[in-house]
Amino acid sequence: MSLTSPIRPLYQAQTYRNLLFLAAGIPIAAVVLGLVIAGWTSIAVLAITPLVVPLLLGYRALVGLLARGDAKLARSLLGVRPDPPAWSEGRGFWGRAKAVVLDPTFWRQQGYLLLRMTLGFAFAVGELALIAAAVSAVTLPIWYRWSAPEYGSWHADTLGRALMHVPVGAAGLIVAAWLARILGSFSAWQVRSLLGPRPAPATVDQQRRYRRRALWIDGCTALGLVVLTTLVWAVTGAGYYWPQWVLLPLALLFAIHAIVELVTTRLARRDQALAIHGGVVAALFLFLVAVWAVTARGYFWPAWTLLGLGSAVLLHWLITRNRRRDRLSRRVETLETSRLGAVEGQDAELRRIERDLHDGAQARLVALGMSLGMAEQKFESDPEGAQQLVAEARAGVAEALKEMRDLARGIYPPVLADRGIGAALETLADRSPLTTTVSVDLLERPPAPVETAAYFVAAEAMANAAKHSGAGRIDISVGRNDGMLEVEIHDDGSGGADAAGSGLAGLRRRVEALDGTLTVQSPAGGPTTIRAELPCAS
Amino acid sequence: MRIVIAEDLALLRDGLARLLRDNDFDVVAEVADADALVHAVLRERPDLAIVDIRLPPTFRDEGLRAALELRGSAPETAILVLSQYVEHTYAAELLAQAGSSGGVGYLLKDRVLDAADFVEAVRRVADGGTALDPEVVSQLLGNRGSHRLDVLTPRELEVLTLMAEGRSNAGIAESLVLTVGAVEKHIASIFQKLQLPPSDTDHRRVLAVLAYLQER
Repeated sequence: MSLTSPIRPLYQAQTYRNLLFLAAGIPIAAVVLGLVIAGWTSIAVLAITPLVVPLLLGYRALVGLLARGDAKLARSLLGVRPDPPAWSEGRGFWGRAKAVVLDPTFWRQQGYLLLRMTLGFAFAVGELALIAAAVSAVTLPIWYRWSAPEYGSWHADTLGRALMHVPVGAAGLIVAAWLARILGSFSAWQVRSLLGPRPAPATVDQQRRYRRRALWIDGCTALGLVVLTTLVWAVTGAGYYWPQWVLLPLALLFAIHAIVELVTTRLARRDQALAIHGGVVAALFLFLVAVWAVTARGYFWPAWTLLGLGSAVLLHWLITRNRRRDRLSRRVETLETSRLGAVEGQDAELRRIERDLHDGAQARLVALGMSLGMAEQKFESDPEGAQQLVAEARAGVAEALKEMRDLARGIYPPVLADRGIGAALETLADRSPLTTTVSVDLLERPPAPVETAAYFVAAEAMANAAKHSGAGRIDISVGRNDGMLEVEIHDDGSGGADAAGSGLAGLRRRVEALDGTLTVQSPAGGPTTIRAELPCAS
Repeated sequence: MRIVIAEDLALLRDGLARLLRDNDFDVVAEVADADALVHAVLRERPDLAIVDIRLPPTFRDEGLRAALELRGSAPETAILVLSQYVEHTYAAELLAQAGSSGGVGYLLKDRVLDAADFVEAVRRVADGGTALDPEVVSQLLGNRGSHRLDVLTPRELEVLTLMAEGRSNAGIAESLVLTVGAVEKHIASIFQKLQLPPSDTDHRRVLAVLAYLQER
């Protein structure tokens, strides 16, 4: 370490840039203070009206503007490149508001601004005070004549005494320069970690983790601020406990954030709006009660707010309940229709099996019995003829067995139960006269009824394509997407499949019985795509 | 020749036992489920176990699984799997897990109708050969890779089919009414046209042909 190194920060431009950034903390703190108080007060007041949505969006925009502005300042003065990430956007009117409250970027930006307002302000004041003191000490020999400073019994009223202040002031300047460097680096770290980009959340799980972390950052910032203000309060004589005015709004803010976060991760979507509304009102009421408790008490004015806000929640609850009832009755209608369809479909299926057994196996057994009866008669008189008849009977049995096997396969292919839809479709493809590709992308087997329905959709669609469309090629794909099993059968035939025809209508009944949907796209001239989506709860 | 039968339908089990006894086989145990099959085989150490693929309690493929298990614990017992329906994927699994030692068969239950043919297959499997149901072979021949067989003459295709079923040269010659020499000539031509590796046993030959047919 050379002799010049302690004073190096004094003549480095970076020191002065850091100083500038720190000093900017003072006006920024004033703006942030005004914004946060005005923003959250109006949001809290309007929380039960639709106006809260544009307000929240506007507030987020202002927070973003400030944060970006400060990030720009940090970039030119501190040399960090935080590159703020984009906000997350919601869909629908209330969805937008929810997206703001759940937006990690927004909470990080606000957390940053709150730190800049408090820590940054303290840094700026401390640094500037130190510099002022040092400069006044260095220049004391010039101005001691007019107003000599007194420190206890020490009067700097002679040039000699004044000159003794100069080295102290110079040391103070060096310390101030070093302090500017240190505080600047700390600020740069703050900017980087709170305003910088984070890796794009790839999975739902990751998104959830980021949101959890935002809640964490929010809580820590709030706690830090309360501790900081309490310290300041204790140091400055511990009079009236004014930090409660920091604590209460921050607690309200954190409560709202936590309620929205918990509700969206724990509750079903349809219950969320009401739960958030009720939770926010409860938090607001508690906040007002706390305000009442720490102020004059007396007349319990928060009761009126509770009455107003509470009736809004009640109204919301009534509307939701009615809407749910409507939804339920619509659902009952759908279920009645699809259940009727399922029963009819089952009926038709049973009739088909009965007919097949009657016309096929039963008729063959009758013929078989006749052949054997005749053979019995001929045993003595015409052994050769009898042998001929027995051989015929055996051939008949082989035919009957084959028919029974085909019938059984049509009812439920054993390979489907044993090896799942992939193997069953491969077997089907092997038997098909057309070029058939099968691609199955499943990690685990779907529930048996869903798998069976998917199989029969593919089987029927393949049979149709082979019989009617004149297709040369069939592509089948099976996959899982968002809790749905999706089956798609595509053929290059001439199209024109009748979605109301008996085969496709039967499939539709089968799919709808499982709450799924079947879509048929088959323009005249082709190609035909049949697609079934079946919910498979897992 | 000592045989254990595992079949849950009594009618079929009795019929099968009678058919085998009539043909001078020694049926040493008749059981109705997979656990009993494993016990009987480990106790009796028979030459052959005839196993229904579907057995209680779930009626899926526990017969097949018990058979594969026995391959490890009683390797000297040959396995003939019978089924109400055949799937070439099951045949492939059975052959793959049985290894290259032979002594496996996979037939439709219908085959018992032709007693002479069935008895011949039983004997072949018990002797360490292979019996694959014609239905399996025709599934494979009819599949999407079958156009590669267009290079074969119709007669060669017949020979290939019988070869895939696990028949010996003599057996092929008998059923096609050819001399063994003519059959050998056809087989050499098939192996050369399809570029198959030469095989020293009938069983390895089946594996080679099946591997070829299953490529896509």
